[in-house]
Amino acid sequence: MEQTKYLVVGSSHAALEAVTAIRMHDATGSLTLLTRDPHLPYSPTVLPYVVSGRSAPDGIFLRDEKFFADQGVQLKRGTALKALHTERNAAELADGSEIAYEKILLATGASPAIPPIPGIDTVSYHVLRTLDDATRLNAAIKQSKQAVVLGAGLVGMHAAENLVKVGAGVTVVEMAKQLTDGYFDAIAAGLIEKAFTDNGARILTGSRVVKLAPSAASFGTPATPATPGVTLTLESGATLEADLLLVATGVKPNMDYLVGSPVEHDRGILVSDTMQSSVANVWSAGDCAQAKGFFTDDKVMNAILPDAAEQGRIAGMAMAGDSGLKKYPGGVPLNTYHFFGRHAISVGSSKVPEGAEVLTRFDEVSGRYLKAIFKNGCLLGIYGVNEFFDGGVMCQLILRRIDLSPVKERFLAEPMTVGREIMSKTWR
Amino acid sequence: MAMFGGAYNTIAFDAAQCDGCGDCMTACATVKTGTVDKTRSRIQIVDSADDGFELALCRQCGDPKCVTVCPAGALTKDGASGVIDWNAAKCVDCLLCTVGCAYAGIALDAGSGHVAKCDTCDGAPACVPACPHGALKYITTSRIYNEVGDWEDLFAPGLAGCQGCNTELLMRHTLRRVGPDTVLATPPGCVPGMGSVGFNGTTGTKVPVFHPLLTNTAAMLAGIKRQYKRVGREVNALAIAGDGGASDVGFQSLSGAAERNEQMLFMVVDNEGYMNTGMQRSSCTPYGAWTSTTPVGQGSGGMPSQGKTQDAKNLPLIMVNHRCEYVATASTAYMEDLYDKLDRALEASKRGFAYLHVYSPCTTGWRFPTNQNMEVARKAVETNFVMLWEYNPRDGLQFTRPVDDPLPVTDYLKAMGRFRHLSPDQISHIQSKVVENLAFVKQMAHRQSA
Amino acid sequence: MTTATLEKSPQAKPAKQKVMLVEGNEAAALGVALARPDMVAVYPITPQSSLVEHVAKLIADGRMDADIVDAEGEHSVLSVLQGGALAGARTYTATCGPGLAFMFEPYFRTSGMRLPIVMSIVTRDGITPQSVWGGHQDAMTVREVGWVQVYCETVQEVLDTTIMAFKIAEHHDVMLPVNVCLDGNYLSYGTSRVELPEQAEVDAFMGVKDVNWHVALDPLRPMAVDPLTGGSSGRGPSTFVRYRKGQCRGMQNSLRVIEDIHEEWAQRFGRRFAPLVEEYRLEGADYAIMTLGSMTGAAKDAIDEARDAGRRVGLIKIKTFSPFPVDALMKSLDKVQAVGVVDRSVGFRWNCGPMYQETMGVLYKLGRHVPSMSFIGGLAGADITVGHFHRVIEATEKLLSNPAPTEPVWLNEKD
Repeated sequence: MEQTKYLVVGSSHAALEAVTAIRMHDATGSLTLLTRDPHLPYSPTVLPYVVSGRSAPDGIFLRDEKFFADQGVQLKRGTALKALHTERNAAELADGSEIAYEKILLATGASPAIPPIPGIDTVSYHVLRTLDDATRLNAAIKQSKQAVVLGAGLVGMHAAENLVKVGAGVTVVEMAKQLTDGYFDAIAAGLIEKAFTDNGARILTGSRVVKLAPSAASFGTPATPATPGVTLTLESGATLEADLLLVATGVKPNMDYLVGSPVEHDRGILVSDTMQSSVANVWSAGDCAQAKGFFTDDKVMNAILPDAAEQGRIAGMAMAGDSGLKKYPGGVPLNTYHFFGRHAISVGSSKVPEGAEVLTRFDEVSGRYLKAIFKNGCLLGIYGVNEFFDGGVMCQLILRRIDLSPVKERFLAEPMTVGREIMSKTWR
Repeated sequence: MAMFGGAYNTIAFDAAQCDGCGDCMTACATVKTGTVDKTRSRIQIVDSADDGFELALCRQCGDPKCVTVCPAGALTKDGASGVIDWNAAKCVDCLLCTVGCAYAGIALDAGSGHVAKCDTCDGAPACVPACPHGALKYITTSRIYNEVGDWEDLFAPGLAGCQGCNTELLMRHTLRRVGPDTVLATPPGCVPGMGSVGFNGTTGTKVPVFHPLLTNTAAMLAGIKRQYKRVGREVNALAIAGDGGASDVGFQSLSGAAERNEQMLFMVVDNEGYMNTGMQRSSCTPYGAWTSTTPVGQGSGGMPSQGKTQDAKNLPLIMVNHRCEYVATASTAYMEDLYDKLDRALEASKRGFAYLHVYSPCTTGWRFPTNQNMEVARKAVETNFVMLWEYNPRDGLQFTRPVDDPLPVTDYLKAMGRFRHLSPDQISHIQSKVVENLAFVKQMAHRQSA
Repeated sequence: MTTATLEKSPQAKPAKQKVMLVEGNEAAALGVALARPDMVAVYPITPQSSLVEHVAKLIADGRMDADIVDAEGEHSVLSVLQGGALAGARTYTATCGPGLAFMFEPYFRTSGMRLPIVMSIVTRDGITPQSVWGGHQDAMTVREVGWVQVYCETVQEVLDTTIMAFKIAEHHDVMLPVNVCLDGNYLSYGTSRVELPEQAEVDAFMGVKDVNWHVALDPLRPMAVDPLTGGSSGRGPSTFVRYRKGQCRGMQNSLRVIEDIHEEWAQRFGRRFAPLVEEYRLEGADYAIMTLGSMTGAAKDAIDEARDAGRRVGLIKIKTFSPFPVDALMKSLDKVQAVGVVDRSVGFRWNCGPMYQETMGVLYKLGRHVPSMSFIGGLAGADITVGHFHRVIEATEKLLSNPAPTEPVWLNEKD
C-alpha cells in the first residue's frame, strides 16, 4: 500500500495553503495531494470569468507541475477519495487503491446543491463549480437567446451578467426577497438589481420554481444540433421558457466519503480552533469544514475564499507541528462583487445584534452606498457599493476589536483614509 | 512562486521626517499613470488626525495574502526581486486581493478600474528621490542578508553573550564573510567570553581559533600569516579584539604589526572599556562615563567623583597615522556601510595591515535596556559622537556616512545610564569635544583627499 | 683553557668539516642557519648581542632561507614565533636580560602550548644594579617556566648544541621550547676555532620537520588552541591537570632524548659532549666542585693543577639545568664526600646560588650526609679565574673535616 506522511485531499485554496504551511516547517516529509479534478489546481471563484471568456481556461491554474516537483509533493489528479478508514489511517480511493497516511487534510470543497424541484431530473441544466462546468457553460451561453438562472447568489449573478453581455434574454429566479441575500443588504441589492434591469435582465425575487419539464420548443440553430429547452413553472403559475438553465442555488460540502467513519460532521466537517476533526490525525479546512465563527461560538459554514486559505494554513501548520501556530480566530465573512463596472464589498457581520448601531450613507445620484455596523464602538461589519475601502484593513479593525468611537464620524465619511491611518499607527 | 525567499530591498518610511508634501505621490502617479492625480499613486501618505503622517504601501510581504487569495493566479511573488507582480491579463478585477491585504498595499485605482500596487519601479522607485526630506529610503541591505545567508556560519550555535549585545551579530557576520580559510585570534575579552575558543576542550568555531594574550594578538597573527605566506598558502589572519587590549596593553604589538604592514585584518570591537572583566575604564572610555574604576560618588574635599576625567583615545585615527593599507570605523547600526568596509578591509588585508574599528554599545556596561543596542549605536552616529569614515593611503580619509545636521549629543547621552550623573559642565565639555573631533577629522579628510 | 671531553668515535665517518675562527654569537648563528628555521624574530634590546646580526647577515647573504621579523620588542618576538610555530614553522630567536624579562608573558605560555621554539640566551646578570655584562641571573630567573635549558661551555659546543636544540625541542616525546644558554661576553664574544658541519649532514641529522602535529592553527585541520579550562561549570580542573602533567612528562622525557641526541651527534659528527652532567677527573676524588657554563674551562685547569699537587679533587659540570638531571647528578655525587658549588647568579630566597640550591635537593636524595657549600662568582661579567677556583678547591676540601659555612662565599667580592 502506498504510504505518505501527509495526505492532502483537495486542490484549491485550502489545500494549497496547507501544502505551503507544511513545507515551511517540514521540507522533506512525504506529501501527497489527491484531487478528484483532472486539472491542475484552480479556484472555483475564477470560473465565472472562464464562462465569460475573460479568463483563458489554461491561464487560471494556481500552481504548475514544476511547483509540486520542486516541493517534493506527489500530485494525484482525477482520483476522488471514496472512503476514510481512520481506525487504520488509510484513505480508500475511487479506483479501489488505498493510501496509508500519518496525517490527512480533508479540503474537498463543495458541490452545487441541487434543489428537489419536481421534474429536475427530466431536464438538461448547467451548474458551475468545476473547470469542465465552466467550459461547457462558456460554449452554451454563446448559443443562448433565452436563459434562466436559478439562484441570485454571486455565482448566479456572475453568470447572469455574462449572459446579458452576450445578448441573451436573462431571467434570474430567486426565492429570497432580494438578490445576493446574505452578502449585501436591501439597498445594496437594489443597486445591483437596478444595474441588471438597466441592462435588460429580468429579476424575479421572492419567486419559487415548482416544476421543471422539457420544453416543446427547440432552440437549435443551423450550426448546432437542436438543444432541448426547459419549461419552468413558478409558484405564481407563470411559466418561463429557457434554452439554457443554470442552477446556482448554493453548494453543499463534499463529505460523502465520511459514511461509516467516526469523523463528526454536521453541515460540514466539525473542526477545532486548529482545524482538527474529532478523530486523531484528521484535519479539515475550506468549504467542507464547519468551524468557529468570529461573531459566534457556534460552528458555522463560512465558504469564502480568504477563510479557506486561512483555515488551510492553520491546518497545515498544525499537521506539521509548527510551533508558530496560532489558533483560528473564527471566520469573518468577506466578499467582493464586481458587476457591470461597479463593485460591492462586504466585510464582517451582516446581522445587526441588539444594542448595535447602524450608520449608513447613500448618494442616489452616484450610486455610492456605505453601511457600517458598530457595537460598543467596535466595527462589526461594513458594506459598500461603488465606495472603495481596503477590505483587509476593515477585517483587521473587526478582528482586533479596535474602538472607533473617537473617529466614527470621520470613519463614515472617509472609511478608506481613516482605516489606513489606523492601520499605519496600529499594526505597521 | 518562491516559497522560501531570501531578503529583498524595500522602501522604508521615516514618519518623523515626513511633512506630508505629497511629492512622492505625485512622482508615483506621474510615472505610473501619466497624471499628477495623487489619489492614483501607489504610495499613499495619510494625514493623521493627531499629528504627523501615516503610510499605506505594499510591503511586498514574504508570505503575501494578496497572492494567496487571488483566484486567478494574477498575483505572484518574484523570487528574485521580492516584488509581488500583478498580471493584468490574468486579473479578473474581483478585488479579493484588497480584502486579503491587511496593509492597504493593493487597492482599486479608480482611474483604470483595476487594482494597482507598488512594483518598486524595477528597483528604482520614483517616490524615493522625489522626497525632499529623506523620509523615504530605498533600503538595499537585503544584499547582505542574501549573500551572508549563502555563506557558512562558522561559529558554534549559542554563543553566550549578554542579552542585547550586538557583538555576536558582528562576530558571525564577520567570520561568515572572511570565510573558512581563516585563522581567528580572539584575545581575552567579551569575544572569547562568549565562547569563541570554547571551554574544556570544546571549540566555538569551525575555523582554527585561539586566545592570544591580551598583549600580543597582532604579533601572533603576524607569525601565523607569515608562515602560510612562506609556504604559499592563502590563509586569512583575522583578529576580533576588544578596545582595552588594543588601545592599552596590546597597543605595542598592534602598532608594531601595523608599522611592519603585516597582512591581517584586525577588528576592534569598541565597547569603550573592559566590559568582560567587570566594566573597568580603558583608554577608549569616553569622558564622563561611569565605569567600575571611574565610579560616581561624593568624593572628598567637595570634589565629587563624576566618572572618567579624561577624553577617550582615538585609536582609529592613531591607526591612520600608521598609514595602514586600510583603516575604517563602523557601526552595527549601519550594516551596509559595515559590510562595504569589511569587504575592503579583507581585500586590503591581503596586501598589508587592515584595521576596522567597530563601535559596539554594551547593554550591560553602559546601562541601557537590552532592546536598545541598535538605537544607541545609531544615536552615536547621528550625534557625531562617533564618525563613520574610512582611510586608505591612496584616497586618504573620507566620511562614509557624514551627518551634516547632527542631533545634540544629549540625545545620545540620555539613552544610557553610564552618563546619567553628568553635570551641565560635563555635558558641554562632551558637546565641545564632539565639535572639535568632527573638525579635526574633517580637516584630515580635507587635507588627505586634497 | 682545557676543552671539554672530545673523543673521536671509532664508528664515526670522518665527515668533511670546514674549520673556522668565530665568536660564540657567530657560532650560534651558523648553527641556526644549519638547522634551517623558517622564521627568526629579533629585537635589539640593550644589552644587545651580535647574534641576531649574524643571523640577519646570513639571511641577507642568501646563506640562510628564513623569514626574519624585526619585531618591536621581545614580547612580540616570541609572540610572532608562537604564531609561526602554530602554523608549522621551525622558529628561532635570541635574547638576554631585560629582553627575556619583557617576554616573560609569552615565554611562560610557550612551554604550556608545547611549542618547540629554540631561543639562545646570551646570559646576562639581572638589573638592577645596572649592568650590561654577563651572568646567569636572567636564565636562572626563568628556570621554573617549563623550558628546557642547556648551558654551553665552549664556542664549538654552542654551535653544535644550537643545532641539537631544534631536534630535542621537536622530538615527539618532548615538544618543548629549548634555551641554549651561552655566557654573555665569555662565550658570545669569545673567539675560537670551530668545525662547521656540512649542511647535508645536518639535514640528515635533523630529519623531516614536523613541529605542529600536536597543536596547530591551520584551516586544513581546524581546532581551538588553548580553550579555557576548569571552572565550576566545566569539567573542573581535570583538563588543566592533564595538560600540566603532560608538560612535566615532556620535561622528564627530554632527559633521555637529550642523551640520545648527543649520542647521535657524536656518532655523526665525531664530537661528544656530556649531555646532562659531565664528570672531570672525578675517579678517585674525595670531593668535587660543580660548575656551569664557560667557567668550567678555568675550573678544569685548576683541577688539573690541584690533582698534580696531590689534592683528591674532581669536577662535576652541569650542562642540562632544566629539567634538573637529578639521577645523573646523584650518580656523580655518590662518588664524593663533599661538594662545593659555583654559581654565576644568586638565589635570593635561600641566600645561595640556584644550582647549589638544586644540588642540596639531590644530596638529600642520596640518603647520606655530604657536606656542601655555595660559591657565587662571575657576577656582572666578573672573571672567575683559575686562582678563584683554587680558593674554591681549598674551601671545599675543608668541608671534609670542618663544619660547613652557613653563608655563601662571594668570589669576586674584593676584585
